Amino acid sequence: MSSLSGPDVLSADERAAIEALVFPLADDEFVLAERYTEWQVRAPTLESDLALANVAQDELGHARLWYDVVADLGYDEPELLFERDPDAFYHASLCALPFETGDWADAVVRSYLYDTAEGLRLDSLAGSAYAPIANRIERITTEEEYHREHAATWIKRLCVDSEGRQTVQNAVDRLYPYALALFEPGEPTQTDVIESLGLRTESLPSLRGQWIQTTSTFFDSIDVSVPVVELPQGLPEDPGRHDPHVAAWLSLYDDFTRTYRELDRAHTPTITSEHNDG
Amino acid sequence: MTAEDPCPYPSYEGTTDSEMPVPARGETATGIERRVFEALETVEDPEMPISIVDLGLIYGVSVTDGVATVELTLTYSGCPARDLLCETIEARVEQLDPIETCSIELVWNPPWSIEMVSANGKAALESFGVSVQ
Repeated sequence: MSSLSGPDVLSADERAAIEALVFPLADDEFVLAERYTEWQVRAPTLESDLALANVAQDELGHARLWYDVVADLGYDEPELLFERDPDAFYHASLCALPFETGDWADAVVRSYLYDTAEGLRLDSLAGSAYAPIANRIERITTEEEYHREHAATWIKRLCVDSEGRQTVQNAVDRLYPYALALFEPGEPTQTDVIESLGLRTESLPSLRGQWIQTTSTFFDSIDVSVPVVELPQGLPEDPGRHDPHVAAWLSLYDDFTRTYRELDRAHTPTITSEHNDG
Repeated sequence: MTAEDPCPYPSYEGTTDSEMPVPARGETATGIERRVFEALETVEDPEMPISIVDLGLIYGVSVTDGVATVELTLTYSGCPARDLLCETIEARVEQLDPIETCSIELVWNPPWSIEMVSANGKAALESFGVSVQ
């Protein structure tokens, strides 16, 4: 049962904890969607082109739902996206990492790793004490399940021969350490508050453990090995959410804010709602 | 279907529209709230010839001191018609006297599913060529 019914009843500490929880969720979805769109018209079949375009659209929809939660705390869309300092985004590095050119295995392995993490993360928020978080979970979860199915099906399809399996193996080796950072907090100092308020009902290390187990079982079943990553040694140089590929992130940021900047708009059409959000 | 199969839609078998908590269709609404539902019945989904009331997107309507509050859901989170629908609803409802302002609350729980479509709506979708079975 939610005990924090909406934005009007929050203390400053509760607001800060909610922001620390929701910004990484929103930014992961948004930034990954921006990367997925690069596959438009380049996927290996028309069906997969459509599917990945749809996944990107879903993730933008989920980003919109999460940005709405923080918009209700007083942010507008330019502040949330188009005028936010690129250093102030909280996405995990996996989401902004450039795709290896033409490497479809990268796209589907990344989707599988991300969407498996996403499913676990959503489960841990279904009983959130903050009602606007809990109320969104079933809507989003229903849409995420298709993503995981799509990615897993493609991975198995690629693994029908040794050459294909090697492309999957290479993608797993490269992406797995970055995916672990999905379980890093956005603001480490807020982790205790998030958990004591009951905003999330499971700890990040516990979610990461489940994720490692689920993904390892899946890859074992198709003879793909999962790199042994002993935390924190095996992680990318910066094991937090902050992006070690800063140049690639700045380039992506530059792309998705370009139209906003070039039009020099004082106001932009919103993807977050101007309407009250329940 | 087995017990293990994930079922994407809740089952409301054996219940009538009026027994379901949502969506709201205004069957028992009176006065100005009834007129708000009638206005909402003139708003169609942008892709299908069916009103948003029959589609089951309206979860509640209330009117207090000239302010109409409409609880609205969308068929899915990435719906690109969100602003269009909200603006159309506000324009239609604010035409009603004595309503001065229409405030829309987007709600996501419970998530919309095909079971939320009314019997009339299902018939309209079938004739349009959309299977709802």
